[in-house]
Amino acid sequence: MDRPLRTRLETRFADKLTGPVRQRHDQTEIRIGPGDLIEVMTALHDEPELCFELLADLAGVDTGDHMQVVYHVWSATTPDWLRVIADGLPRDNPRIPSLTGLWPGAEWMERETYDMFGIIFEGNRDLRRIYMPPDYASFPLRKDFYLPDDAARSPGGGVRHMEQTVAPVQATERVVRRTVKA
Amino acid sequence: MTASPGTGQHPSMDDPRIMLDGQIGQFETVPPYPPRTERESEFYSLRDGEMFLNMGPQHPATHGVLRVVLKINGEQVVDLDPVLGYLHRGVEKLCENSDYHHIISQVDPLEYVSSLFTEWAPVMAFEQLLDVQVPRRAEYIRVLTGELLRISSHILYQGWIALDLGGLTPILYSFIERDEIVEMLAAITGQRMLFNYFRIGGVNGDLNHEFMSRLGDWMSRAAKQHEANIGLLNENEIFVRRMRDIGRLDRTTALRMATSGPNLRSAGVPYDVRRAHPYSVYPELDFDIPVRGTNGGGDSLDRYLLRMDEVRESLKIIDQCLHNMPDGPVMARLPRLLRPRPGRAWAAVEAPRGLYGTYVISDGTDQPFRMKIHDPSFVNMQLVGLLMKGNLIADTMAVMASLDPVMGGIDK
Repeated sequence: MDRPLRTRLETRFADKLTGPVRQRHDQTEIRIGPGDLIEVMTALHDEPELCFELLADLAGVDTGDHMQVVYHVWSATTPDWLRVIADGLPRDNPRIPSLTGLWPGAEWMERETYDMFGIIFEGNRDLRRIYMPPDYASFPLRKDFYLPDDAARSPGGGVRHMEQTVAPVQATERVVRRTVKA
Repeated sequence: MTASPGTGQHPSMDDPRIMLDGQIGQFETVPPYPPRTERESEFYSLRDGEMFLNMGPQHPATHGVLRVVLKINGEQVVDLDPVLGYLHRGVEKLCENSDYHHIISQVDPLEYVSSLFTEWAPVMAFEQLLDVQVPRRAEYIRVLTGELLRISSHILYQGWIALDLGGLTPILYSFIERDEIVEMLAAITGQRMLFNYFRIGGVNGDLNHEFMSRLGDWMSRAAKQHEANIGLLNENEIFVRRMRDIGRLDRTTALRMATSGPNLRSAGVPYDVRRAHPYSVYPELDFDIPVRGTNGGGDSLDRYLLRMDEVRESLKIIDQCLHNMPDGPVMARLPRLLRPRPGRAWAAVEAPRGLYGTYVISDGTDQPFRMKIHDPSFVNMQLVGLLMKGNLIADTMAVMASLDPVMGGIDK
């Protein structure tokens, strides 16, 4: 755990953080709103005392209640991983600015997250499905999407849900069985 | 496919009429729907003298089922659009519906060339969630087997890259070495490719006599054999000329493209997870991080040579592991059914292709709520589009092979 990093982040982003800075093992975690993402990430990337140059991962999360986009970044200035959680995206219309201006390499990761969760990354020039076929309409990693052996409870209520193209927004019944406070 | 009229039988794949009636051009180069994004409409509109060339989804040089649509002008590649998803299995969804022990076998086939690393990152993340202390002998065994597999992966890379450029000999020598390594790993894991060996809190079994005797035999000649094998390619003028100055990647671009692993280090960034975020027993081991391309970036040849340097470092690590290996148990005491407290964990390891990471969210049940797998090949594959522009079609092979993608990991 890098204690000074915590102080640095708390002073630098005092008005942006929506939760306390958490530290566990070799990870430091900050939480921001999706509107502040570009500003915070640009500061993290550009400022020499932070200098988080490498985007290690971009993950979407459906907590069952809302959506998150989680970024892991690396800097030579700290032995910790920094985890930035862009929190509180509404499940019915998740939108967040794209990071492709800062890291063009985020393009495919954002396409993947869009494909799996339906999160719209505003500013990504190529936001189309990357794994699933183009005419596919569901978002498989959302928590109201069940595996085929659980088809009776899936939004389309079909037998072979994986082959259906029913969007969750059109579904009559949407059940989220698991939620998490993440 | 329609049944043959009148017969009422299901058509046989040997029926020559299928070739006439069936869909021959299943993979139409231009999508049969209007462009969905700005980039797609830009790519799928041709200027004077340009044409599309479809490569794949099955092509010997794409290292798996990858389809690449090339936009070419004569012999020159103007732009390209990789199409993924032919191998997508939804592993993340499967992991979210499996219990923690079961996940180890679910993630195995992701990066099938070096599958121990796909187990290592999730296992480390779960250990963080559970606050498990792994026995030191187990950590040494993990490093030992991991580095063996890194050597096997890099040696195979040497063979493939030569094969993609038309040289048949190196892959035969590569497979001699790789076969020896997978055989010795099979002696402790029972498997040659998908090992399913790491466990939460340790490894599945201790080293045995067969492994140690095979490893000893192999180590006595490995370094010398490696130098002989790289001599096959490094002194080959055709190979060097086709690799040099093709697909040059500089430091800034590599970082902006979120690249990791040997591709990043050959662009002049000394970033290795084993040193940047020390895990396991790597802090106790003495090895160097080879870096190339520090002035002006690295080309395909640098990416190849860097991996060959890494093999030497891995041999050093294996030697130290064998000398420092402590005695003791190889598994921590853990219950059969794991229910970690709610929380989040991220663990990353340095796989042969780069940073292999896992982000896990636990909700207190025996299955992870969310498990994200970060595969280095997926990110590195984006470089193909960047590096190929302006090169010749024949160089697509050299560039793509030099980035060392594995489609199992890209498509997840």
